[in-house]
Amino acid sequence: MVEFTALASQVLVGLSRAMILFIVSAGLSFVLGVLRVPNVFHGSLYMIGAFSAFSIAAWLGAHPAGLWLALLGAPLVAVAVGLVVERALLSHLYQREHLMLILFTFGVMLVLNDLVKLVWGPDYRSLVAPASLQGAASVLGISVPRYNLFLLFVGPLVAAGMWVLTAKTRIGRIARAAAVDRDMVGILGINVNRVFAAAFAIGCYLAGLGGALVAPTTSITLGMDHTIIIEAFLIVTVGGLGNIWGALVGSILFGVTQSVGLLVWPQFAIVFPYLATVIVLLLRPTGLLRSVW
Amino acid sequence: MSEMLRVEGVSKTFDGFSAVREADLTVAHGSIVAVIGPNGAGKTTLLNLITGFLRPDHGRIVFEGEEISRLAPHEICRRRIGRTFQLANIFPRLSVFANVQVSVLAHQRRSWDLLSAAAGLGVHETTTVLESTGLAARARYMAGVLSHGDQRILEIAIALAREPRLLVLDEPTAGMSPEDTAATTALIRRLARERGLAIILCEHDMDVVFAVAESVMVLHQGRTLVQGSPDVVRQHRDVQAAYLGTTDA
Amino acid sequence: MVAARPGRALGLGVGLAVLVAVPAVAPEFYVYILSLILVTGLLATSLNLVLGYGGIYQFHHAVFYGIGAYTLALAITKMGWPAWVGFAAGPVVAAAAGGLIGAICVRLTRLYFGMLQLSLGSLLWTIVLRWRSVTGGDDGIHGILVPAALRHVEGAYYVILAVVGVSLVVLFIIVRSPFGATLQAVRDNPQRCQAVGIDVRAHQLVAIVIAAFFAGAAGALYVVLERSVFPNMLFWVLSLEIFVMCLLGGWFTFLGPLVGAGIIVALRTVASRYTENWTMILGTILILLIFFMPEGVMGHLEQWVRRRAREDAHV
Repeated sequence: MVEFTALASQVLVGLSRAMILFIVSAGLSFVLGVLRVPNVFHGSLYMIGAFSAFSIAAWLGAHPAGLWLALLGAPLVAVAVGLVVERALLSHLYQREHLMLILFTFGVMLVLNDLVKLVWGPDYRSLVAPASLQGAASVLGISVPRYNLFLLFVGPLVAAGMWVLTAKTRIGRIARAAAVDRDMVGILGINVNRVFAAAFAIGCYLAGLGGALVAPTTSITLGMDHTIIIEAFLIVTVGGLGNIWGALVGSILFGVTQSVGLLVWPQFAIVFPYLATVIVLLLRPTGLLRSVW
Repeated sequence: MSEMLRVEGVSKTFDGFSAVREADLTVAHGSIVAVIGPNGAGKTTLLNLITGFLRPDHGRIVFEGEEISRLAPHEICRRRIGRTFQLANIFPRLSVFANVQVSVLAHQRRSWDLLSAAAGLGVHETTTVLESTGLAARARYMAGVLSHGDQRILEIAIALAREPRLLVLDEPTAGMSPEDTAATTALIRRLARERGLAIILCEHDMDVVFAVAESVMVLHQGRTLVQGSPDVVRQHRDVQAAYLGTTDA
Repeated sequence: MVAARPGRALGLGVGLAVLVAVPAVAPEFYVYILSLILVTGLLATSLNLVLGYGGIYQFHHAVFYGIGAYTLALAITKMGWPAWVGFAAGPVVAAAAGGLIGAICVRLTRLYFGMLQLSLGSLLWTIVLRWRSVTGGDDGIHGILVPAALRHVEGAYYVILAVVGVSLVVLFIIVRSPFGATLQAVRDNPQRCQAVGIDVRAHQLVAIVIAAFFAGAAGALYVVLERSVFPNMLFWVLSLEIFVMCLLGGWFTFLGPLVGAGIIVALRTVASRYTENWTMILGTILILLIFFMPEGVMGHLEQWVRRRAREDAHV
């Protein structure tokens, strides 16, 4: 029974981590699907979300809702940064080939990385979760950190929100149409530029939200952008490019294999999700679910 | 004349849509066969099946006694079947000369040669092909700047460099002016005669078809309606119904 | 356009003489930087064989560089092999990895090829990162004992110059060969090539193996120069940085990547003296490049030379 409890506990931890991975990957996948942009600086926005959450919380000091406001406000910083880059630079490159877009967003990632270093300094930061989310609760006899339960609640909420957005709202339908035929949408009299900006903003928001949510669980460092973006890209490919549900599947695969790996072979825990990714892509190179490309 | 290529009962389905259904085609050595049919009849799919870009779901394709249904495109080319595409498919950034030279090098089995200098190889063969297709004067131009008509002829030249015995042409005169069409038609006839080439050509332009073809196959909704001499086909009842009566899929 | 002209040959000869003479006249630091430029230039040129000439999106080329480096490092430190055996093993193991990874990936279209390669390379990176007992983990391996003659920068420089020189000549011959012409044709129109009897997959695979070989050689040379290895040599960021060097120099030219590598290494060295924010500078250069000079330095130069030649011809 001890074995089972340990395993179940680890799976729950993995699922919680998967929720953050999902939120970030969903944003990346959405932008990839609608704008056809592989956004390498998506990871930078994640990092900016984390650092912003720290700063907002620090600025609000002892205010009881301080940490909640930090979680709410940090993604908006990411949106602001992302929109500035999109309007000023990225929007002029939409017709260029994908390799150029990858290199351009890589360049922005490099710039943002140093900007974060300039603004926040090279030291790592940490953030505490809101008081109501600290400590653990007992679920089916297993002790689960309250924050993880919170993540397990937020994740599906975001998934549902994305589904409603893409399937049920007008803007979602326009975005999906634009993904398939950009020119046609333009001819229909719809301001494609604004659709793209809005879609991009949503992607940035998710990146920042992911960063804000991860902030209380780990140390906020300058290398966060590098690791999250490769994980997000692999998850998105495993799930199917542009497919939000695919992002969920891929994130769960990634999160759970890593946390189970911690139980099985702690030294090589990080290898497990990458190995799982390789195996999936060897068997189904285009991803598990349907890809937009 | 003996049989060179036989397509037997070949079918190909895409996601439930039958592009080609039990199509049959016979090509005799040194003959020119035209495949005609309305848009969407499956002509290009049939050509893709013959040249290996697609694999048939059912049926066989036999060339010179060998079944080639499952071969890859480059293996089909090595059996001396060449082709052109519906949209001019050349190397736009290379010169006209280099376009043909790549084909010559491949024919001489030199594509694996890592040490020689490519520039001086296969010059004679390349020049010969360019002269026989009338492109020699434009050898140094970048292929991308050629007129549409000349690009279609360049395609034929690239295919000729591999000394094919069967040439598959997908709408070779599409989008051409009347003068270019006449010139291309004359070229096709001359090549067939001089080199003893068998030619399959897909065409919409009935003047071209009746000017060069010795045998005509009518494809309708993926099926072979009839194959025979141009006069027989012209008078065939089902053909008239297909062209004048029913609409296509 | 090539070395046929006597002016070109003379220029190369003079350039070579200058390079040989450098250690005698320049301070040690410059010799070190030049060595680094040569090693990085070889790495970038090897990528360009598949990228610029082959049109293959080799997103994780750094993997082969890292494999070459770690092979030499492990050969010396863990296996006790003589240095020259390890040095020969580096590119060979890298080429084998290229063959394996290439064979797996080459059957996919461009984008998925890149993603699968990225996943395979990242897997390797995580293994190297965590296998502390063998690879030193995220500390890497330092103080690798190379032969005495190479321990001084000057000795290392001459070995590097010789190997890079020979490698570049070989790569140039390959690019100008029928294989190179076929590869470029495959880049421009794979469908056309198939119809002309060229086995596209096979040619791409061979190109990947050759590129991996020379990337592995560059990795081994890096060990000769720095006497250490670390996991970041297999990290995706380095792979994209190599792309940037090719872009900066001009990826439709042979010397472009070398020029790009030289500019990046030199700029990085200079900038690091004055600021901690080289990363931002690199990012800005990249962004400007994409907007204003996507043909790269050498591409720009070639256009300029061609324009001048046309103007002179009209005189």
